[in-house]
Amino acid sequence: MNAIWTVFRKELLDALRDRRTLLIVLLSSVAVGPLVLVLISTLIAGIEKRAEAREVVVQGMQYAPTLRNYFQRQNFSVAAAPAEHEQKLRDSKLGDPVLVVPPDFEDLLARGEAPVVVLLSSANNQRSQAGSGPLRRLIRGFNQEQAVLRLAARGVAPAALEAVQLDERDLADPGSRAAQLSTMVPFFVLMAVLYGAMGAALDTTAGERERGSLEPLLMNPASRWSLVLGKWAAVASVGMLIAVLSCLSFLPGQWLLRSETLAAMFRFGMAEALAFIGLLLPLAGALAALLMALAIRCKSFKEAQASATLLVFGVSMLPLVTLFNQEGRAAWHLWVPALAQSTLMGRVLKGEALPWLDLLVPMAMCVLLVLLGVGFVVRTLRSAALK
Amino acid sequence: MIEVHQLCKSFTQGSGRQRRTVQAVAGVGFVAANACITGLLGPNGAGKTTTLRIAAALIVPDSGWVRVDGIDVARQPMAALSRMGVLSDARGLYPRLTARENIVYFGRLHGMDEARAQARVEELAEVLEMKALLDRRTDGFSQGERMKTALARALVHDPANIVLDEPTNGLDVLATRALREALRRLRDEQGKCIVFSTHIMQEVERLCDQVVVVAQGRTVASGTVAALRRQTGQADFEDSFVQLAFGASPQPQQAGPLAPGARQ
Repeated sequence: MNAIWTVFRKELLDALRDRRTLLIVLLSSVAVGPLVLVLISTLIAGIEKRAEAREVVVQGMQYAPTLRNYFQRQNFSVAAAPAEHEQKLRDSKLGDPVLVVPPDFEDLLARGEAPVVVLLSSANNQRSQAGSGPLRRLIRGFNQEQAVLRLAARGVAPAALEAVQLDERDLADPGSRAAQLSTMVPFFVLMAVLYGAMGAALDTTAGERERGSLEPLLMNPASRWSLVLGKWAAVASVGMLIAVLSCLSFLPGQWLLRSETLAAMFRFGMAEALAFIGLLLPLAGALAALLMALAIRCKSFKEAQASATLLVFGVSMLPLVTLFNQEGRAAWHLWVPALAQSTLMGRVLKGEALPWLDLLVPMAMCVLLVLLGVGFVVRTLRSAALK
Repeated sequence: MIEVHQLCKSFTQGSGRQRRTVQAVAGVGFVAANACITGLLGPNGAGKTTTLRIAAALIVPDSGWVRVDGIDVARQPMAALSRMGVLSDARGLYPRLTARENIVYFGRLHGMDEARAQARVEELAEVLEMKALLDRRTDGFSQGERMKTALARALVHDPANIVLDEPTNGLDVLATRALREALRRLRDEQGKCIVFSTHIMQEVERLCDQVVVVAQGRTVASGTVAALRRQTGQADFEDSFVQLAFGASPQPQQAGPLAPGARQ
């Protein structure tokens, strides 16, 4: 017991003195979450603003009073196109598509000769693409109105034109987009924990071997179990510290939310933060044990980093299962560490209550992983201490 | 006292068709008495390091045994290790800890309390002349400073038996002299049993009360330097070593300038 405590204290001190690594981990884990949140909210706020704007950008509006009259009756305001709008559209500096009206618009229209208006957008300019749909619908509406007027003047019923009436409604509102984006939050927290534990885990195993301090350490009259448990406890503590910090960092992060819709969707208070931390602490322990088990056979830190990449890949891919899944919620999701935690964190974000059984299964899996990982490290140190 | 009896150990290297067995130790045996410095002398790859690793309970031998003050290392490794201070081939320090923290850490692992470990650090710093180093991080230490710290770390629990694997590797003349002086004092003032391995003749001649010559994994001769010289009938100890270790009588060197880099 004494030896475990001694090793734990030393390893923790050692890890915390590694200022540069710690700083990078803190920056990438604790700062990235809120930063992403702010970026998402800015994006959503932009989409919302555009949806509310009801504005068309037109060049040569003065040539087409009839069209202007129609736009205004549809509650659209008209803005003049800026100079060099083609270049700006190409460079994605202009977010709205531009409608170009020819000078002889009104003449041609009066003669019934169908003037040509040009809709300028750019395939590589996503925002202008999104705006050209409504503009196209607007022109179609104008055409229809003109046709109806002409037919009526000739005594034909407008209904003869339309065999079927189409009523379009877009059900996607910015709010649902926000919900989709906030599913990224559990992913960021998971990654933060993994990267937080990685440096310390590799340093206490492969790093120790590379430095040549493993052999002297093993020549102390302390059991392998107490050495490994002390190391594991220190690595897990670092991971847990990062977990707590990154969860709490979302609390001030959401004050910066600029979109009201997102702020309404992303309700992350103290209760949610505590639920996240409760889910992540056992996982931090399990990841620490797994990382140590992966690294203990490696002769150098670099080699260990290569094998740890496997775990990073696994942990980053697993949550994608819920994105691609066709079967909805499956019971087996809770049996897979990392996937279970990200699923449950998603449920916390949606404000669902978590039944005890759903918490126990992932917890038990984490405990099992810790035992397996620590056991493997102990066994390796017993047999192949020197190679 | 350290007794080594008929040690054998082989390693398998590679796998599949490249698999082969290397006999690292094939019958090393010696007795290192208290208040005596025993030198384990042998060419590179003779099995010195493997022997010392078996003595430090890092490897289990295929056959034979090692006893430290009568305790069998393979059966009671913890008890044996607490009576031994080992400076092994690998002597890495923790670069982010100070020399003092490095030494105290091992003291604590030997079951010493904080106060005793700290007091012992001061004592050892006096003996090894490293007081100025104690509170510096070991990151920028020179080879000699590392060596002193590692030695202090190995001796922190004041062991009755001291095992050193090539302790002068990479040390300059002054550092080597200081180490020799420290070892002599440990022998004379505290009656320690000291075993050290080396492949350098001078060191053995200057320091050892008893020499064990190891070659190709077995003990080929043992005794004092003078006795070994007498046994082989050579005036020069280097010549007697070559004769003992390689079996052939040494070819007398051509007179003339030494080849560059040759050891004198």
